[in-house]
Amino acid sequence: MKPFDPRLLRAVPAARRPVAVLAGTGIAAGLTTIATAFALSAVVVAVVEGHDLTAPLVRLLALFAVRAVLAAVTEWVAAWAGVSVSSALRATLLRRWGSVDADARLEPGAAVSLATAGTAAVEPYAARFLPTLVTAAVVPVLAIATLVVVDWPSALVVVLTLPLLPVFAALIGTATAESTERRWVALAALSGHFLDVVRGLPTLVTYGRARRQVTTVREVSDRHRRATMETLRIAFLSSAALELLATISVAIVAVTVGLRLSTGSMALGPALVAILLAPEAYWPVRRVGAEYHAAADGAVALDAILAQLEPTPTRAPSSSPAGDAASRGGRAAERGEVGRVRLSGVTYAYAGSPVPVIRDLDLVAGPGLTVVTGPSGVGKSTLLDLVAGLRRPVTGTIEAPASHYVTQRPFLATGSVRSALTIGHPATDDQLWEALRAVEVDGVVAALPGGLSADLGDDGFGLSAGQRQRLALARAWLAPETLLLLDEPTAHLDPEGAEHVAAVVAELAERRVVVAVTHRDELLAHADHHLVLGDARSEVVPVPGTPPASPRTAARDAAGEELDR
Amino acid sequence: MSTAATPSGSPADTPGRTPVAVVPEPTPPTSRRTAAPNRRVWWPSAGTLRGGLLGGIATASGMALTATSGWLIVRASERPVILTLLTAIVAVRAFGMARPAFRYWERLTSHDAALRLLAERRTTAYEALIPLTPARLGRRRRADVLTGVVDDLTDVVDAQVRVTVPVISTAVAGGIVIALTLVLALPVGLVLLALGVVVCLVSGLAVHLESRSLPELLAARAEVTRISELMASQAGELRAVGGWATALGWLEHAHASLDRVTRRISTGRATAASLFLVAVGAAVAVTAVIAQGLPVSTPVKALLVLTPVAVSEAITPLVDAMRALARARGSERRIEALLDLAPAVTVPRADPAGRTAMADPAGHVDDETSGARPGHPAYAGCDLETRGLTASWTGTHTDLTATDLDVPAGSRIAVTGPNGSGKSTLLAVLARHLDPSGGTYRLGGSDALDQPLERTRARIAVVDDETHVFATTLRGNLVLARPDADDDAVEDALRAAGLSALLGELPDGLDTPLGPSGRGLSGGERARLGIARAHVSGRPVVLLDEPVAHLDPPTARAVVEDLTRRTAAPGTNRVTGTDLPGQTIIMVTHRDDGADLFDRVVEVRRPPSGTMSPGTAPHQTAPGPHPDDHQHEPDQPRR
Repeated sequence: MKPFDPRLLRAVPAARRPVAVLAGTGIAAGLTTIATAFALSAVVVAVVEGHDLTAPLVRLLALFAVRAVLAAVTEWVAAWAGVSVSSALRATLLRRWGSVDADARLEPGAAVSLATAGTAAVEPYAARFLPTLVTAAVVPVLAIATLVVVDWPSALVVVLTLPLLPVFAALIGTATAESTERRWVALAALSGHFLDVVRGLPTLVTYGRARRQVTTVREVSDRHRRATMETLRIAFLSSAALELLATISVAIVAVTVGLRLSTGSMALGPALVAILLAPEAYWPVRRVGAEYHAAADGAVALDAILAQLEPTPTRAPSSSPAGDAASRGGRAAERGEVGRVRLSGVTYAYAGSPVPVIRDLDLVAGPGLTVVTGPSGVGKSTLLDLVAGLRRPVTGTIEAPASHYVTQRPFLATGSVRSALTIGHPATDDQLWEALRAVEVDGVVAALPGGLSADLGDDGFGLSAGQRQRLALARAWLAPETLLLLDEPTAHLDPEGAEHVAAVVAELAERRVVVAVTHRDELLAHADHHLVLGDARSEVVPVPGTPPASPRTAARDAAGEELDR
Repeated sequence: MSTAATPSGSPADTPGRTPVAVVPEPTPPTSRRTAAPNRRVWWPSAGTLRGGLLGGIATASGMALTATSGWLIVRASERPVILTLLTAIVAVRAFGMARPAFRYWERLTSHDAALRLLAERRTTAYEALIPLTPARLGRRRRADVLTGVVDDLTDVVDAQVRVTVPVISTAVAGGIVIALTLVLALPVGLVLLALGVVVCLVSGLAVHLESRSLPELLAARAEVTRISELMASQAGELRAVGGWATALGWLEHAHASLDRVTRRISTGRATAASLFLVAVGAAVAVTAVIAQGLPVSTPVKALLVLTPVAVSEAITPLVDAMRALARARGSERRIEALLDLAPAVTVPRADPAGRTAMADPAGHVDDETSGARPGHPAYAGCDLETRGLTASWTGTHTDLTATDLDVPAGSRIAVTGPNGSGKSTLLAVLARHLDPSGGTYRLGGSDALDQPLERTRARIAVVDDETHVFATTLRGNLVLARPDADDDAVEDALRAAGLSALLGELPDGLDTPLGPSGRGLSGGERARLGIARAHVSGRPVVLLDEPVAHLDPPTARAVVEDLTRRTAAPGTNRVTGTDLPGQTIIMVTHRDDGADLFDRVVEVRRPPSGTMSPGTAPHQTAPGPHPDDHQHEPDQPRR
């Protein structure tokens, strides 16, 4: 772990300004600290020698006023920088996940924890540790430079003793590294126990095991205390040793200054400045050590987040920019063009799996309804993911216009019906009602208190699975994209409802390219083309009742067929 | 803690066992431990008081170090005989060594005291949580609620180290300095006294400013967490519908409001930090003017001028302390709000065996002797029957309208219905997590509401949507459901739950550690683990509350298929092959994944909004082989 990782500034440009402002206030605070030492010694000299106090006091008060403002600014900036850096990291991380292959993301649990707890842990790192680091880098240097000018023997003492601090810290660290490591492991297990038991409380209550854990909780908490104290004893001892070292060094400065004063080889003013400045060279260095422990979690999390932001060249960028389809297709739609889907030689394997789920697939889907069927696990949904640009093929190319993709569990955010329907594109209420009518869910929405403004979700007025499915179709109806991908659009519906939805899908297919995956029959009746994904090879089956595929098409390799109407 | 809780709302001598009378106070989530004092988070324990005093000595040594150094320098500049400086040099060294030594001692003392307190508070909080689990922990995401309790407890105890000790240290050191200065030079002592008063006032202001915006800050953080969770876990679904840009907009909005609140809340700290410096500056100036005219030696004058500067070292930690205080108070309030809730179930009063008199008020007695013989679970299901069952979580709003349910032993029922229809409420009542407000509930032929709570609960295994994986071995995770289960029983349960493949690939088999530091489980495996636990328990009834809610549809269906699969003829015990009925299974499902796999589907309707109107809704269910009971809702999907 590095104290400061410059990758942060490269990967997250939004973090540059907060870090720069932090450095700026740190330097300003360091300068006023030095100036205060001079002003204070001037006041003391004036008091001692009976001079007029007005001028030195005005200067001192002015400096205190500046320091008061700087103190306030530092607190503000630290809080702002903490939030800014962690927010910028979070936004960058999520943007990144929004553009990579589905398999390149962490599994959902880890992704959620990195995007929430991970980025939040960076906040104290940025708000507390970075300012301390800036101070430690700036103030000792300024203090020593000033001492060189004011009283070089004191500067020499400081320069000779200051390096002892990190050396000493490193010595203590290496001497206790092994036992510390061992203790941390034990400690992590002990401190995790309470959380484990408490989170599992519903299970323990169900099986009547909760009461007997009370004694265990007490015992483990006590063991946790003893183990923690073992660790702290060493940690505190080393920081006490460093403090002692710093105090002794300051005392050496004070004593040498005192001796030179008593022999008359030094004036009072510089002497006071020297003893006021000497501690400023030591404490920031010690504080870095103290704050670093508090910020260690943040540094670890930062490392993990930056690793996610590294470019991952595992997949060759698809030659057709399926991921950018949104912009391209949007323009195509404006021009009134209906694009087509063209896959050539597409192979896809899940991350870590040696066996491709889709192998060397060729496919062309033009306007109309293309229905994809096949046994479970054959890669039907993966095919839609690929066309939608959510996954990138290992080899092969995909050309597709921008798509609207109704997944198996369509996303319906907590919030109003209106916001659920307009999440992709804005629409007027009239358009919304029209779409709701088209999928025959308008009655349900009208019956909700608030209609389009009614809240969905756990706390609001819920809908059945079938109603949710229809809402998702209403959203697809509204979508301006020319390509519509539907994953099991008739699941969760009774036969009558499924029949109706199939008719709606057929209607949608009159104006667009629709590719639907299903294991039910309703859609097949409306299909213009039918693709059977098999274990061995994909095969295009002519749809009964529709014009047979042209001889040209039929003559081709069955694996990839022109599916145009 | 919990043994001190006595019901105050409904008189203990309420006659009979009418379920309505069991429902406590009509006000939502009932608070009844009114006697619980509002604990002051900063109140010192013996240990932290000692720590504070030691810290005071350390802080005072630091101040003395600065002041005596000043005295030494000025005295030296008067070129005295070198010997007269020796006392001061010794004093400087002594103070210089005393500060780190006492600081070390203080930190050990106060941390040990805080950890003792943490152990104590954790134990009492854990005990207090048991009767509230699970019904009072919210309907969803209970593990998050519980994690919140753990974090809040840490914050509260942290206040001892971050607030109590620094405040006592500053007070002690300040007191010593003021007292000495009052003796040495009365006017300067009075200036320092005034400085002390200002510091107290500013600290109070800082806590006020910090506490004021704290709820907003927590709300803003929660919103950021909610949205990033959504985006991190559903990136694909969002992008599929073109909603990614909108979600990024939400995130930006949430970040902006977090930024705004953070700036506002930092005003408290910023104000305190700057006012402290203003006060110290003023004190130095006034002291300088006074000291110049005082009839004391020049070194003493220097010492007096430097004293307020030295004091500022002791004041600075108060900024952080006030912040920690505001935080800890908020945490303490949240803990109290949760732990003061009344349990959602009370013990039946007419208990012929008199067993519950021994139990705590919520009737929680650990079940050590449930079920059948050791070794293999019996899998004998039992009948379950409700008549006009109604329930309410708050006492004012009806969450479950009159429900009649007839579930013969060994049958498998799916309960569906839209959100808010009372599916989960029904399950909570059946599990005896929540008292019904009316109606009857019979389990295995006897009145479940009349039985001792633990006896009813011991016949029911509950599986919810977030199976907790304990940080122990696979075996440990399963046998907690039935401590005397042997390995055969555990392996059977794993097979029945569709986990034989997992068992096969684990290097150490049943001894493989699971949990955070062990092998991770996929969502499907977790759900199956929860089901395997229920199998191991051998309890006659298994209630499942949306166990597959977070799984993708194919996995969800596969899990339900395994759950409902019968390896033998219906009604035959799967394990023993006898004619005993298998476990009675009731699963609540939000979506109707695999509901067709059940013997029967029961559709629960949303209660009419408004207050209680028990008994007005039509019966939701009809016993019989046909799964389709919801003709009354033409718009509902049917199977």
